[in-house]
Amino acid sequence: MQLTRRAGLGLAAAAATALAFGVPGVATAQEGKAGGTLVAAFSADPGGFDPARGPSGMSHVVIEQVYSTLLNLDENAKPYAGIAESWSVADDGLSWTFTLRPGLTFHDGEALTAEDVVYSFERILDPDSGYAYRSQIETIDEVVALDDLNVQFNLNRVTGPFEIYMAFPGSSIVPKDLVESGWDLNAQPVGSGPFRFVSYTPRDSIVFERNDDYYEEGRPWFDGMVYRIISDPTALANGMKSGEIHFSNEVPPKDWNAITSQENMVDAAIEGSRYFWMVPNHERGELGNPLVRRAIAHALNRAAIVRGAFYGQATPILGGVIPQWNWGYADLEEFSPQGDIEKAKALLAEAGVAPGSPISLMMVSSWPPMMSMAPIIQANLSQIGFNATIETMEVPRYWDEVWGPSNFDLTVMYWLSPLADPDDFVTNTYATTSAVNVQKGGSQEMDDLMLAAKSAVTIEERKDLYRQQQQLSLDTMDVVPLVNGWVLTAHTDRLKNFKPMRTGFLKTLKDAWLE
Amino acid sequence: MLRLVLGRLASFVPTLFVASMVLFLAVNVVPGSAARSALGIHATPQALKRFEHQHGLDRPLAVQYVEWAGRALRGDFGTSFQNAVAVGPDVRKRIPVTLQLAGMAFLVAVAIAIPLGLVAGFRHQSGTDGVVTTLATLFGSTPNFWLATLLIYLFSLRLGWLPTGGYTPFSEDPVANLRGMLLPCIALGVVSSGLLIRIMRTAVIEVMFSNFIETARSKGVSNFRLLTAHVVRNALIPFFTVSAVEFGFLVGSVVIIEDVFRIPGIGSLVLVGIINRDYPVLLAAAMSVTVIVLIVNLLVDLAAQVIDPRQVHTGS
Repeated sequence: MQLTRRAGLGLAAAAATALAFGVPGVATAQEGKAGGTLVAAFSADPGGFDPARGPSGMSHVVIEQVYSTLLNLDENAKPYAGIAESWSVADDGLSWTFTLRPGLTFHDGEALTAEDVVYSFERILDPDSGYAYRSQIETIDEVVALDDLNVQFNLNRVTGPFEIYMAFPGSSIVPKDLVESGWDLNAQPVGSGPFRFVSYTPRDSIVFERNDDYYEEGRPWFDGMVYRIISDPTALANGMKSGEIHFSNEVPPKDWNAITSQENMVDAAIEGSRYFWMVPNHERGELGNPLVRRAIAHALNRAAIVRGAFYGQATPILGGVIPQWNWGYADLEEFSPQGDIEKAKALLAEAGVAPGSPISLMMVSSWPPMMSMAPIIQANLSQIGFNATIETMEVPRYWDEVWGPSNFDLTVMYWLSPLADPDDFVTNTYATTSAVNVQKGGSQEMDDLMLAAKSAVTIEERKDLYRQQQQLSLDTMDVVPLVNGWVLTAHTDRLKNFKPMRTGFLKTLKDAWLE
Repeated sequence: MLRLVLGRLASFVPTLFVASMVLFLAVNVVPGSAARSALGIHATPQALKRFEHQHGLDRPLAVQYVEWAGRALRGDFGTSFQNAVAVGPDVRKRIPVTLQLAGMAFLVAVAIAIPLGLVAGFRHQSGTDGVVTTLATLFGSTPNFWLATLLIYLFSLRLGWLPTGGYTPFSEDPVANLRGMLLPCIALGVVSSGLLIRIMRTAVIEVMFSNFIETARSKGVSNFRLLTAHVVRNALIPFFTVSAVEFGFLVGSVVIIEDVFRIPGIGSLVLVGIINRDYPVLLAAAMSVTVIVLIVNLLVDLAAQVIDPRQVHTGS
């Protein structure tokens, strides 16, 4: 593989990233064993397979197998060559050029050229596309095909995570001619990825077969894959125990010990990007006061939440929401794992909140970790003098009556950041323009910091700006960081060379094989 | 007979019409947003508006109903809000799966209920009767998903005889199909048998007290012959008529069992339709259950007529 980067920010960023992770990013040419069908288990149905529809995380783990992206991310979230065999960025950091591998084809046999790349991005840039990850591509001014193999992206602002964005499943390259002929990718995805899509039966399975024309020699190793959708956690665990399921990266925390203690089972529990935070409604009485929000943040016993709601399979967040494994992590130890009741009480007294003030905690009844952490949070709030009550609601009503109209005092939310870039952890939660900002908080200062951090030229600058943003977020305590869940992966020891990703993505399955 | 069939078929139309209206109304007045369920945490107000407009959810309910019913009559049930899958073909694929599951579970229930109910009714108010009645109460009050978990633990995880779940079409591999269906059918069948045992027992007792049994007894007919020639035949008519209701109930109650055993039938579709407020899926699944129950009732009426031709004009 030839990397023809010009010196400058791209190289600097890559070097710094490599340094941060301490791993060279190039996929090693290892000999594997061809054949076999991998049976993997997941808990939820996908929401369609068109990259432009802005679908769910479950859609993405299908999309990344069927389509290709210009770049790929390795297990340490470091970009490496996808269908672009080389890429470079101009000195101003605004113009990126990607050179495609020659002879690429889609699963329908048609050639994949620079025109398809241009079309794919114009499609998601269209304001009417409804693409949910628009914030990733909003700095793209134009995409130009220089010839069949070279495509240039002109940006209107330096975009720190640009390479990461180019490896995101939403940035998948779709076949222009096929889509223009009216083909519905959402039901029948056609790409150039390691696996062809065969079928999808809702609530049951997604079936893949090997793409024999995949551009990486020898890969993928499996003849095919079956993603089983098993919504009942116990049924998923039973399937793992009996050996009918080879693989899952959604092992239920309650069954983790029973599954990993089995013979012939390989397990990996890594801190991922699924983090939980408490949302205080800034428009509800005393919660508009940062002192009160900080008091609540200090009152919480995060260690108890990890034990009680996650069976120990999570890490308490003691400072900003960017996790420790990420290069954007700022070492700000604001909270103690057990909480600090005295400090919380002092903050509350300073705010002048009367003891016995009522406060309600609204939770989704069908999300086990939230139901388990509710009494712990309630007890902590009572300890500092609140008269705390728990309310619950089923999901569809919660979205409509609680989340959408910001109708709550306190609630808890989580999301799995699909990118390993620090921007993805903070902008969603803190930006005044974000749909996720149901706390109705944020400030111009915070927005400016996040934009500056995203657009800074060097990784050191970015890191410093994220540190400032994290500190500000703890001073204003717009939301209360709670815990970061682990990605619980277990698989048969017949599966070799699988490298789990912190985002829960499974692109690395193409490099694994069954013995 | 023909008149009965035609009469019944004619009464399908208004029944289905009313059922569809009630369902449509129920689905739509339940609180919760379909758009937010489909779009999730990142849904912007514009995206929600676009979704509701695209799916016609911003129009009056009556207009939505007429449109939906019109397309449904032509066999088009729309596409799922959650994924782009066409609902009609998906539901059609699942109906045989649920029918097989409910049918086999019904056979299990009947196989348990007939002998036990017969013995209990025949030996009315004896110790045997007490044991059977207790068993029936026990079976009937066991939650089927709990029994399912026990069965999986014993036969799949401990003994390793049967799979923990999953489904193979019968046409693909009959043995794998039956192996996969066995545990869910037992879990459903045992629980259903609780009610069926009682129905059989009552039916037998009723026959036992009738005049013709008295007459047969006085003529010196043996107990065995009495049972086989007179009691069973006469008790089975009320038994099957009443237990057909139980079959309809089975079709509707496979919801959780299908989830536990990963069987891609109608039940799991109903569940996901409710959880996600996926109206097209929920409506199509619920309507197909309605149609199945109506057809089963018709078949039962016909069968009852074959067994006892005196019940001629019941339907017309």
